[in-house]
Amino acid sequence: MTPALDVTDLHASVGDIEILKGLSLQVPFGEIHAIMGPNGSGKSTLCHVLAGKEAYTVSGSARLDGQDLLGEPTDVRARMGLMQGFQYPVEIRGVKLVDFLKEAADEAGIDPDEAARRIAESGDQFDMTRFLTRSVNQDLSGGEKKRSEIFQMAVLRPKVVILDEIDSGLDIDAVREVAEAVEAMRSPEVGIVLITHYSRILRYLSADRIHVMMDGRIIESGGPELAAQLEAGGYEAFRAQLT
Amino acid sequence: MLDRSIAEHRLTREPPVLAERRRQGLAMYEDAVMPTAADEHWKYVDLDFTMETQSLPAQMGVKMAPPTGVSRVSASVVDGFVAIEQELPDGVEIVRFDEIAERDPEFFSSVVAGRSDDIFLAGNAAFAGDGLFVHVPRNTAVAGPIVIDIQSVSAGTISFPHIAISLGENSEASVVLIFRSSEEELVVAPVVESTLGNAARLSMTSVQTWGRKTKGIGYQRVRLGRDSAMKMGEVGLGGALGRLDLSVDLDGDGSSYILNGLSFGDGEQVLDYRMVLNHRGRNTSSNVLLKGAVEDEAESIFTGLLRIEENATNTSAFESNRNLVLSAGAKAQSVPNLEILCDDVVCGHGSTVGPLEEEHLYYLASRGIGRERAERVLVKGFFDEVIDKLPSQAVAAPVRDEVERKFVAAQVAGRLG
Ligand SMILES: Nc1ncnc2c1ncn2[C@@H]1O[C@H](COP(=O)(O)OP(=O)(O)OP(=O)(O)O)[C@@H](O)[C@H]1O
Ligand SMILES: [Mg+2]
Repeated sequence: MTPALDVTDLHASVGDIEILKGLSLQVPFGEIHAIMGPNGSGKSTLCHVLAGKEAYTVSGSARLDGQDLLGEPTDVRARMGLMQGFQYPVEIRGVKLVDFLKEAADEAGIDPDEAARRIAESGDQFDMTRFLTRSVNQDLSGGEKKRSEIFQMAVLRPKVVILDEIDSGLDIDAVREVAEAVEAMRSPEVGIVLITHYSRILRYLSADRIHVMMDGRIIESGGPELAAQLEAGGYEAFRAQLT
Repeated sequence: MLDRSIAEHRLTREPPVLAERRRQGLAMYEDAVMPTAADEHWKYVDLDFTMETQSLPAQMGVKMAPPTGVSRVSASVVDGFVAIEQELPDGVEIVRFDEIAERDPEFFSSVVAGRSDDIFLAGNAAFAGDGLFVHVPRNTAVAGPIVIDIQSVSAGTISFPHIAISLGENSEASVVLIFRSSEEELVVAPVVESTLGNAARLSMTSVQTWGRKTKGIGYQRVRLGRDSAMKMGEVGLGGALGRLDLSVDLDGDGSSYILNGLSFGDGEQVLDYRMVLNHRGRNTSSNVLLKGAVEDEAESIFTGLLRIEENATNTSAFESNRNLVLSAGAKAQSVPNLEILCDDVVCGHGSTVGPLEEEHLYYLASRGIGRERAERVLVKGFFDEVIDKLPSQAVAAPVRDEVERKFVAAQVAGRLG
């Protein structure tokens, strides 16, 4: 079966600094994969390169449900079904969350009634209803911002979701809430990539696979036991063990 | 050429305070000169006409169709001549200057200031057709908005509308000012003065949609009594030149002033805002937010001075001017200023000038929103922040539509970026 996301030998550089150095990754539909890596290993860069942010020179391949992503601009990739949840979502004054979602739904060809129904339903589910008439991300706490990212995806229903440090900066209760929200998004129609620095969020959801990222590559993949190993020894010890 | 004899003839028939005012205006006008861009207060503005090329309207021109969005007009000022409707909202008295000047000259003088420090203010005092006097007695809350429709229609003229608004102690009113004009070449120099008595509350929304050959040079003066509060909404969309010279005196202790405004310039429009807020009383507060967009070869100017006088303890004053420059040929000048003569204050000012933020566009793109729609959503959001705060929400919808129309026209013509 075609995987939701299929990345092969992905390289990306800014100027003459190479950040991604031959990264490969497969995420099947219905699964949640965690990518764990230390600061500066290239996690956010991976998100931006997959999402099509300008500024990178890119080679290799990335396919979403079999379709080539890399030639397309960001908005087209999103409409093909790839969405990223940002590590630092920007505040957009004046643009109300509900209007923002309606515009995005309209652009994606979702019927307005259907969009309204999803907004109401998921708004309820992720406790976002009271933020709908506020500006996007404005005056939200860290946890609320991250919940808003997941809520938006629940409405727009991408095929691949990449969540960049959705757990960072949150207290433990907020981490649990966000983890539950991610778990609630799991479905046979979506593959989820959860990028994180720490293993604590993995206690509250069940990741199917863990990938360890260092220095622009996936250096090891395995089951949930990998998280425990990282937790115990840290990234450098983990790397030393491999070689 | 402005015909002196018209003013001289008018003053023979006017009550003494009004005639005296006109006489003084005439004298000042004789000595006044046209300002130039070398004047600090007129920097960046090119007044490409002279008084010699303009004439005074002899009478009211042909009225335009009723304005959209607002319910009922209470009074019109057409080419500077006043027409007051029969039916007015309960609680307000609206009369011509000559009537109030005859009946209560002292009251008249206390509300209508003798300010004539430049050629347009002097011209207004000397040549105004009629003045419109709006009075809300003390302890009265006016039911419904007082809508004043200020039109300029006659080609080749310069007209001088003058509106004075007086709110008695502990009274309350909501005023909508609509400034419109025909597509003829003309000049209009309106003066609006608001005087709030103690604990009075005034909401005012001013919407300027002048024709594209109108040069508008507007003045607003606000005087705030003790514990009075004014909320202002200011919209500037039309005119070849749309200028507003605003001065607010927070004289009374505990008085407050809030302004939310927006402008959108296209073509070769010049939209020019000069503001001075004088904090004189103790415990006063002000908050100004003015947002502007310019595209094509339009230019906007903002100079805003917050002046906190020596004894104005516990003042809170904030002003913010945000500008979107959407085309390479468009310009925005923004000069916020503080002059603080008192220690015990909380003040802030900020200004931004620039294009739409790439980070915002990227966020929208990451949700599948294409560039064109993303730009539209962001510009709409930029203005919605102030449109939502206009005191009269009746005018919000047509303002929103006009802003969107202007933006989409620029987008379709490929003038952005
Ligand atoms: N635009 C850029 N120009 C130059 N260097 C960059 C750029 N973006 C990222 N880098 C560098 O690439 C490396 C990876 O950055 P990236 O933000 O992807 O790491 P990260 O794994 O997300 O880190 P963190 O855990 O701190 O979020 C870092 O060394 C960073 O300084
Ligand atoms: Mg990162």
